[in-house]
Amino acid sequence: MNTLHQSAKATSRLGRPISASVLIAWLVYLFLIVPSLIVVPMSFGTSNELVFPPQQWGLDLYAKALDPAQGWLSAGGRSFVLGLIATGLALMMGVPAAYGLSRTNFFGQKALSFMLLSPIFAPTIVVALALYLYFATLHINGSMLGLVMGHAVIITPFLVVTTLSGLKHLDRNIENAAMVMGATQLQVFFRVVLPAIKGPVLSGSLFAFLLSFDEVIVSWFIARSDQPTLPVKMYSSIQWEVSPVLAAISTFLVFITVIVSLVSAFAQPENTDGF
Amino acid sequence: MQTMHALETNTTIGKAHRGRIPIMIRTLGFGTFLLPLTVFMLLVFCVPLLGVARASFYTNGTWTLSAYREFVSGALFHRALINTLSIGFMTGLISVICGYFVAYHLSRMPQRKRRLYIILVMLPFWTSILVKSFAFTVLLGTNGIINQALQAISGTNVVVPMIFNRAGVIIGMAHWLIPFSVLPILSSLLSQDKALRDAAEVMGATGMQVFWKVTFPLSLPGVLASGLMASVIGMGSFVTPSLLGGRQDLMMANLVDFYVREALDWRMASAIAVVLILLALLILSTAAFVRTRLSR
Repeated sequence: MNTLHQSAKATSRLGRPISASVLIAWLVYLFLIVPSLIVVPMSFGTSNELVFPPQQWGLDLYAKALDPAQGWLSAGGRSFVLGLIATGLALMMGVPAAYGLSRTNFFGQKALSFMLLSPIFAPTIVVALALYLYFATLHINGSMLGLVMGHAVIITPFLVVTTLSGLKHLDRNIENAAMVMGATQLQVFFRVVLPAIKGPVLSGSLFAFLLSFDEVIVSWFIARSDQPTLPVKMYSSIQWEVSPVLAAISTFLVFITVIVSLVSAFAQPENTDGF
Repeated sequence: MQTMHALETNTTIGKAHRGRIPIMIRTLGFGTFLLPLTVFMLLVFCVPLLGVARASFYTNGTWTLSAYREFVSGALFHRALINTLSIGFMTGLISVICGYFVAYHLSRMPQRKRRLYIILVMLPFWTSILVKSFAFTVLLGTNGIINQALQAISGTNVVVPMIFNRAGVIIGMAHWLIPFSVLPILSSLLSQDKALRDAAEVMGATGMQVFWKVTFPLSLPGVLASGLMASVIGMGSFVTPSLLGGRQDLMMANLVDFYVREALDWRMASAIAVVLILLALLILSTAAFVRTRLSR
């Protein structure tokens, strides 16, 4: 299967036959990328049925998506506000925690970091059920507070991981120098460490926002059914009736994903592999 | 000289200012950075999880194993468990195989080019699962793009059922999991010492032999671990089987949802969730064991 590498190299001067394994890799790339791209042309169709390619082109679906009566706009706004607050909360807790984890070495630290990161490994449905039962006893199911806390549980561990990887590249001698010069720990954190890791933290928080903006399972359990987030509204819409408006909404989500990926690619240092 | 002096006075001032701060307090100082998230996770993650465990044993004021007894004896639960395991391992396997081709392709290109190609993996990785599910209903449906294309090519009315059945779940889930397996396999391939391959080549190994005797065995621990990891992620999936599967493809996550929303039976929902998380823990620790054992 890998011969391609060798044989392609050997025969490239003769006209480069494409090896089987490169061909398969390209088929997988195609499989991966097609669903994200197919929604874009579909969103510019005008018919009430999903046909590809669209018979007529127009912006009808976008007009429908932006029509306040359809509820997409308010769901989108709700998800946006929720994403912003949850990301802010994640930043305030996650970045200091990552710094604390990377600069200490105490008994039980492995267990603590496992606990702090475990929402990444736990099946989201279990987290969703746990929060649903918990918030039911606290009477905050369906409230913005419940959604913010639920999303913070999901996205903060992710921000801790990206911040940790940023801290790995930071030379500890700079912090030691600041300490020697009389800076307090807080000063070191805010004036030395934070400015040095602002790239990874920025890109981490953009992706954390995206995680929250796209989060469906926890919100499906916690949000009130008459006040859905955008993904919850999409989920129930696909479940009952696949409407062409979804193509416009999907295109918008793909667009946001591309923007976040581009911005964070520029925020990352050159020498990393971009993931 | 003068800076040296300044530095010295500064430290003495710092010391005088802070007094003789023992190392313990300094460690506690870092502890203050950890404190907010630790408290938050204890209150909003650990306590709720324990609440699920409790709810699975405790109903109407008594402790009981009834939910687990029903789980062991009920045909519905058997089906969900078997579906969860078989779909999880199946898609884990598929995504590792597909992911290996992509990771291998990525690992053999210069870094600059790789940064560009990896977008083809990262864009779908970050795309909402709902966008993907919607796209797959459009692509795979009875009147979908693929079936229309097949009809146009063959000139018949052939319809390949690819949605609301097992095939739909597996296609959708593989699409979701392939990026998860590409990244660990890629980093395992990139961490291999190129000198080993060069040595094998110098000794006369063909490209095929270098791959099967050097590259592949070295990447095996990473491949197994990422395959198990992908399976575990797949086993927790909820959206894909619900939107792309049929009635026969219910997974445990969907059953949890059913018991919370339709049956209003929190005890049963909690028991299923406990079984699911134990399953995940078991497979993840196997993955960790495999990785340490094989990479030794």
